[in-house]
Amino acid sequence: MLTIYLKKLFQFSRIIFSLFSSQYALMLEYRAEITLWAVSGLLPLIMLALWTGIENPLVNYLELNYLKRYFISAFIVRQFTAVWVMITFEEDHLDGKLSPYLLQPITPFWRYVTSHLAEQFTRIPIVVIMLIIIFSIIPYSFWLPSLSSLIFGIIAIMLAFWVRFLLHWIFCMCCFYNDRASAIERLLLIPYLFLSGLVAPLETFPEIIKKIAYITPYPYIMSFPARLLSGQDVSLFLGFTGLIGWFILLFSISIITWKIAIRHYSAMGA
Amino acid sequence: MLNIIYTFWITSIASELEYRLNVIVEIISLIGNIAGTIFTLFLFYQQGSNVGGWDFYSSLIIVGIYTLLEALTISILHPNLSQIVKHIQDGTLDYVLLKPINSQLWLSLRKISPWGMPSFIAGVILIFVGLSKNNIIIGNLEIIYAITAICSSFILLYSIWFILATTSIWFVKVWNINEVLRSTLVAGRYPLTAYPPSLRTIFTFVFPIAFLTTVPAQALIGTSGHQNILLSLVFSISLFIISILFWKYALRFYTSASS
Amino acid sequence: MSKIEVRALSKSYRVAAKKPGIAGTVNHFIYRRTKEVLAVDNINFKIAKGEMVGFIGSNGAGKTTTLKMLCGLIHPSGGYLRVAGFSPLTRDKKFLRQITFVMGQKQQLIWDLPPLDSIKVNAAIYGLSEKECSNRTYELASMLDLGDELYRPVRKLSLGERMKAELLAALLHRPSILFLDEPTLGLDINAQVRVRQFLSNYNRKYGATIILTSHYMADITSLCRRVLLIDKGRLLFDGLLQDLIQKLSPSRSVIIELNSPQPIEQLSEYGEVVEYDKNFVRLLIPRNDLTSKISSLLIKFPIKDLEITDPPIEQLIGRLLS
Repeated sequence: MLTIYLKKLFQFSRIIFSLFSSQYALMLEYRAEITLWAVSGLLPLIMLALWTGIENPLVNYLELNYLKRYFISAFIVRQFTAVWVMITFEEDHLDGKLSPYLLQPITPFWRYVTSHLAEQFTRIPIVVIMLIIIFSIIPYSFWLPSLSSLIFGIIAIMLAFWVRFLLHWIFCMCCFYNDRASAIERLLLIPYLFLSGLVAPLETFPEIIKKIAYITPYPYIMSFPARLLSGQDVSLFLGFTGLIGWFILLFSISIITWKIAIRHYSAMGA
Repeated sequence: MLNIIYTFWITSIASELEYRLNVIVEIISLIGNIAGTIFTLFLFYQQGSNVGGWDFYSSLIIVGIYTLLEALTISILHPNLSQIVKHIQDGTLDYVLLKPINSQLWLSLRKISPWGMPSFIAGVILIFVGLSKNNIIIGNLEIIYAITAICSSFILLYSIWFILATTSIWFVKVWNINEVLRSTLVAGRYPLTAYPPSLRTIFTFVFPIAFLTTVPAQALIGTSGHQNILLSLVFSISLFIISILFWKYALRFYTSASS
Repeated sequence: MSKIEVRALSKSYRVAAKKPGIAGTVNHFIYRRTKEVLAVDNINFKIAKGEMVGFIGSNGAGKTTTLKMLCGLIHPSGGYLRVAGFSPLTRDKKFLRQITFVMGQKQQLIWDLPPLDSIKVNAAIYGLSEKECSNRTYELASMLDLGDELYRPVRKLSLGERMKAELLAALLHRPSILFLDEPTLGLDINAQVRVRQFLSNYNRKYGATIILTSHYMADITSLCRRVLLIDKGRLLFDGLLQDLIQKLSPSRSVIIELNSPQPIEQLSEYGEVVEYDKNFVRLLIPRNDLTSKISSLLIKFPIKDLEITDPPIEQLIGRLLS
């Protein structure tokens, strides 16, 4: 019994690995685009410039150094939680590539996951170079996070990516019902921008809006890892409970919606 | 000429209306974005502070101008200029070049999307709210200044975008440059003076969001000197001319994706 | 006066040489090697008004590049070029009004709308009045056998219908020079025949000059009397299709079935005996005296059945190019 499972697991990981390596080769081909895309994730830095320029008692309270670390961390978190699955999924659907994918012995889900992971891998050197540039412009904001906050921060970023990916994946299913469902992505972007802590640290939010934000998954996928990395005191327990809770919830929903969507798709004649 | 543009726009609106889901998405995302931006502004101002010498309602005018630029982007710039790369990739630029019509005009005005309309209205409303809350009554001169500044800002944005899109003749794969542009443009939501001095220079001359939003807003409030208006006009027209020359130059390198 | 005149036309490209795989990518990233490729090499020809000329050659031979230089899309690296009295490069509006370019694998019709909308756009661009537009649309639609299809979104049309609609949109301004690059690509036999018939009708009706490339030799044989054979950027042959065939295979193969076996020596007086199997004989007889040879064969031998075949033209050209 166990050996069968092990064998299956082995086979599965082989498929994942080969998918990953082919996607990585593809992403290397797109390095120019990925660089530009990484550059386009500048928003946290723009916000940093604004927040530090404001004559605001709150800023003094938050401490300038902390603000800098927070936004630079948010920049890093954003780089490694980029999700574009809705756009490629819709393209593949419209181009008719999805049907052959569905015939393969592995769900297309893994194809998209590996392509995202491969893209993140390609991004690493780009982000490192960008960080070097940032720190050479504002050297006094440089800091090294403690080993534990670095490790927990990386785990939190990985989980955050999964939560965000699953959220988008669930909405991908709308492509089966409407030709231009990727427009929904723009809607998903709005709470991500304003509720996640990307434009302002959550501490500056009024109490009520902070409460609303914490109902959504967004603070967990941006504010929590960014604060971890910037070396702030955060409750690991609350943050990880939030991330894992959302992960389990979205994962179960995605399985159900995928089944429903596939039934609908095959009923439509693929 | 007007006849051609009219036909272009009628057909592209017809084409857009094939997808009705977009209306809802567009309106929700507009409301969400404006609410989010005002919320962020509110965070800046919640302790009675000021941002680079601008009070809340003056900043609202900047957000209004920014929203107008968004409207221009959604209805004309994005639908047209993001297609240039696709034209080059698929080789359908051939068809554009073979038409007895200026190719830059075609590529820039071929399409229009009606979904910029809500943003346009929202932008105008924001500007009016900002003006009336500050008890600003605009005189004739300010009107002329403001219209000049806003027009220059439109031309400026168009020219920058078109020049960047033109580079795809050489580097087919750089469509993401549009994303870089759009994400940097976000900086224009806030007054120039809110940024640290070093960034201000960059935002004035390298990536001129100063002329895109701050100067038009100053013109409306009446705090902009005429030399600023003149400067933005000269700047935008020269960039426009550069975009034309650059396109002509780039076409010599067009190799036409073959079968 | 010739409609198209080409002298010493050539085009060279710089292409990056890159090996596949990650190693190749990295290598390419660091050390970029480029090489000069001559896509078109010193080509000369003239085409008169009303001619239908076929460009033949294998993939990547330079046919499409030549076509694109003729209509001004690609800048030549050297040579002299006149089309309808213009230098195509200047993309003079008067010049553009006289030509059209149809590509089998690229479309100009708006995907989400019926062809009629794209046609209206083209009418506006070429400055046709509403009435002219509807007259010409009607006329071309009946020549192309298009009806309702013009009112259905392009994405819902079949490949053949789409191509016909493309042709309609491309010919609305009644160009006098047509450049067609693989106009029948991917179409089924019926649709191919339709398109061919239409093109020859259009040529007859308006005296238009037509230049086409195609992979289907049937397009060339049924439309073009004259062909230009291009290989590796060089013009290998310019003349009548008949002559090309003659040049490529001076003989035809004749298969005869005899009532009784005949001595091989007697048969070989008439031509080269390729196969000899009792009653079945295959001979190669030169084209020039084919008829006289066959009539004397028929008199001299007891022949039950006789078949004359031409080696398929695809094979001939394939053999030449390989």
